[in-house]
Amino acid sequence: MTKEGVQGATEEEQQAQSKKALKKQQKEAEKAAKKAEKQAKLTAEQTTEEDDFAKDRYGLSAMVQSQQKLDRELVRVQDLTPEKADQLIWLRARVHTSRAKGKQCFLVLRQQQFNVQALVAVGDRASKQMVKFAANITKESIVDVEASVRKVEQKIESCSQQDVELHIERIFVISQAEPRLPLQLEDAVRPDGEGEEEGRATVNQDTKLDNRVIDLRTTTSQAIFRLQSGVCQLFRDTLTHKGFVEIQTPKIISAASEGGANVFTVSYFKTSAYLAQSPQLYKQMCICADFDKVFCVGPVFRAEDSNTHRHLTEFVGLDIEMAFNYHYHEVIDSITDTMVQIFKGLRDNFQTEIQTVNKQFPSEPFKFLEPTLRLEYTEGVAMLREAGVEMGDEDDLSTPNEKLLGRLVKEKYDTDFYVLDKYPLAVRPFYTMPDPNNAKYSNSYDMFMRGEEILSGAQRIHDAQLLTERATHHQIDLEKIKSYIDSFRFGAPPHGGGGIGLERVCMLYLGLHNVRQTSMFPRDPKRLTP
Amino acid sequence: MPMYQVKPVSGGDMKVDLPTCMYKLPSFHSSHGSSGSPEHALQNGEVDPAVKALEARQDEIMRKLYELKAAVEGLAKTVTTPDADLDLTVSSSLSSSTTFKGTTDLDTLLGKDLGALRDIVINANPAQPPLTLLVLHSLLCQRYRVLSTVHVHSSVTSVPPQLLSCLGPRHADSYARHMFQLGFTLIWKDVPKLQMKFSVQNMCPIEGESNVARFLFKLLAPYPSDPAAATLVDSWLDTAFFQLAEGSAKERAAVLRALNSALGRNPWLSGPEFSLADVACYCCVLQTGSAASAPANVQRWIKSCDNLGHFGPAKRLLQ
Repeated sequence: MTKEGVQGATEEEQQAQSKKALKKQQKEAEKAAKKAEKQAKLTAEQTTEEDDFAKDRYGLSAMVQSQQKLDRELVRVQDLTPEKADQLIWLRARVHTSRAKGKQCFLVLRQQQFNVQALVAVGDRASKQMVKFAANITKESIVDVEASVRKVEQKIESCSQQDVELHIERIFVISQAEPRLPLQLEDAVRPDGEGEEEGRATVNQDTKLDNRVIDLRTTTSQAIFRLQSGVCQLFRDTLTHKGFVEIQTPKIISAASEGGANVFTVSYFKTSAYLAQSPQLYKQMCICADFDKVFCVGPVFRAEDSNTHRHLTEFVGLDIEMAFNYHYHEVIDSITDTMVQIFKGLRDNFQTEIQTVNKQFPSEPFKFLEPTLRLEYTEGVAMLREAGVEMGDEDDLSTPNEKLLGRLVKEKYDTDFYVLDKYPLAVRPFYTMPDPNNAKYSNSYDMFMRGEEILSGAQRIHDAQLLTERATHHQIDLEKIKSYIDSFRFGAPPHGGGGIGLERVCMLYLGLHNVRQTSMFPRDPKRLTP
Repeated sequence: MPMYQVKPVSGGDMKVDLPTCMYKLPSFHSSHGSSGSPEHALQNGEVDPAVKALEARQDEIMRKLYELKAAVEGLAKTVTTPDADLDLTVSSSLSSSTTFKGTTDLDTLLGKDLGALRDIVINANPAQPPLTLLVLHSLLCQRYRVLSTVHVHSSVTSVPPQLLSCLGPRHADSYARHMFQLGFTLIWKDVPKLQMKFSVQNMCPIEGESNVARFLFKLLAPYPSDPAAATLVDSWLDTAFFQLAEGSAKERAAVLRALNSALGRNPWLSGPEFSLADVACYCCVLQTGSAASAPANVQRWIKSCDNLGHFGPAKRLLQ
C-alpha cells in the first residue's frame, strides 16, 4: 500500500464515478425524451378526439327504463332481403362476432336462427373511434343499429341472409354482455365428430346445462324447442278436432297411485302429500263423470333413481283417456291416428327445424306407416326367437330386446313407429283388463318409436269388484286405493287410454340420444338447477 | 437275481388336481364293463351296432345318388339325341295338374309355425300398382284365412282412395291377428322396384312383380313338376312383364301375335289348364290397354278369363 496506489485508486474511483454519472445522465435523457414523446402523442390524440365527428352516432345507451316511447319500427333480420336494398332501417340484434380490419369492422348480427353481416367503415359517416368502438363490443351484447341495406354480388355463405349486408350508420349498445362467456356458441353447435377431427372444442353436456341460458341461444336449441312446441300444438289441435276435452288434474295427491316406490313426498301443513306420478286416477274419474274423451298436458314427477339417457325426474306428460263402445282397439286406433297426424304435421311444417338439428346431430329421417302397424306380443316374441333370443311366453321385454325388436320391425316393415298389442297379464299393473279369451294375456299395448317405448296403455278395469280382486292379487293395500275403487261403483263406461312423454317423443323423432337435450331445464337425480 | 432298483422320484399316489372348467368325457375303455345291458366286450371282427346303423344310412345315400346319376344320364341322352325335339305344348298335358286344386302345406312352404301370424310384406309404388299380385291375393283369400292390410308409408304424401281399398273390405275378425293363417300387408311406398319381404332372418327381399308372383303362386298350387311345362309358364311370365308391360309398341304387338298363335292351339297359355301365365298376361294386357285391339284368339281368351271371375279386383282398380 503505497500512497501512489491509494491515489491511483481514488483517481480510478473518480473516473468510475464520472462514468457512472455519465450513464445516469444518459438514462435520464432517454427517459425525458420518451416522456416528451408520450406527451406529444397524448396531445395528438386529444386533438383527434376533438376531431371525432361521429361521436353521437355510437356509444353505450343508457339502460332502457322506459324513458320514452319511441315510435321506431325495428326490422327483423329474417326480413332482410334484396327487396329492401338501399333502405335505411333500424334493427335490434345480438353481436355474434366482430372483427376489425384496418379501417373497417365486420360484425355478424344474430337474431334467433338468422344472422346477417354488417360493416362499419371509416368514411364520412363513421370515424376511426367509431370503428374501434364497434370492434370492441363484447360478444352477445344486444345492439340497436341503424343501417342501409346493400345488395352483395357474392353470396355470404356463412350467414343465413346471404344476399344482403348492412352498412352501419349508427350503433348503440342496449345491453352489454360480460367479456368472458362461459361457453362459445360456435363450439356448442359444432357436431361431436367434427370437433375431434379438427381439434376444435366442443362443449360437453354438463357445461351446456349449467349455462342453459346461453346454450339455448344456439340455432340447434332454438330449432329443437320450436319443434317441441309444434308437437304440443299438433297434439292439442288433433285431439280437439276429434272431440276431446282438455282437463287439468291436481299434482298434489294424497296417495301414491301406481305402486309407491317412486313418489316425491311434500310436506302438506300438518301431514305429508305426494307429487303425482301420472294423471291416471283423475283421467279415469273424468270418464266416469261423463266427459267421454279427455286429454291433459302437465308435469309428471317420478322419483326414480335412474341415471339413463331417457329418464328425467320431472317431465311433461301428454295423456289421453277415452270411453269406447265395444272393443279397446277403438282407443288404439284413436291414439295411433293422433300420433300419425303429429308426425305428418312435423314432416310437412317443420322441415327447416329438422334440417337445422340434423346439422349438429345427423340422423335418419323418421318413417311411419298409416294406418299404424299393430303387431301382437306373440308375433314380437316369435320374431325375437327367430333372431336367436331366448325368452318365455310371459316374460316382459327387456330394453335390449325392445331395441332389437325395433330393428327387426324396421327391417321388415320400414317403420320407426309401431304398436305391440296383447301384453302378458303378469307384467302389467293391477288395473289392466285381462284378455277375455286367454287368461295369460291382457288388453294392453305399448307403442315404440325407434325401438324405445313411448307409451304404455291398456283397457282399464271399470268394474269395482274385478278391480278389488286384481288389487288383492297384486297384494295392494285396499285402504290406500279406496277412493279410486269408489269412483267405479256408480256406473262406469268401458274405457282405456295411455300417455306419452313430450321430451322423449321429441328426442326419438329427431333421433337424438339424450332426453336432456329436449328438456329446457332438465331435472334428474343429480340436477336441480337452473 | 434282483435288478437295479431305483427309488421312485415321486410318490405313487400323487393327487392330480383335475381342472373343473374343461369338458369331461366318460372313459371310452371302461364303458363296456359299466353299461347296463348285458353287452360283452366286442370280439375281433364284430362291429358295434351303432356303427352298423351308420353304415346302413351311408349305403342308402349312395344308392340314392346312383339313382340320381342314372336319371341325369337318361335326360342327357334324350336332350342330345336328334329326335329330342318334342313339342312341349303337346306333352304338357301329360304332366301333373296345374290347377289350383293341388295340395300345398303352408308349413312346408313358409317354414314352421312359430305361433304367430306369418306376414308377407309387399312394398309397391302407387304409380305402378301390381295388378297380378292383387289377383293372386284374391285367389289366396279363397284358399286360406288371410289378414289383408293396406298402409301408406311416410315417403308418400297421399294416395288415391281406390288404392287404399284395393284389397277389399276389412275382415270382421281383423282385431285378432293370431286367428289368421297368413298375413298380406301391402305398403304404398316410394320404391323404385316392387319389393317383398317375408322372413327377414332367412330370406333376402324379393324384387320384381314377376318374382313375387311366382312366390305367391306357389302358395296356391305347386309349379308343374314337368320341367318343360314349368319353363313354359316362366317364359310367358317374363314375356308379360318385360315385353308386354314395359316394352315398346313394336314389342307389344309381337307379344300379342305370339299370344294369338299360342291360344290358337290351346284354350289357355300353358295348355288345357288355367295357370299363372294366364294371370300375368291378362293383367299386363289390361294394364297396357291393348285389350280392345287384340287379335281374335286373344279376345276370346280375355272373355274366358273374365268368366272365371278372378280378375274383379284388377279391373276395379283400373276404372
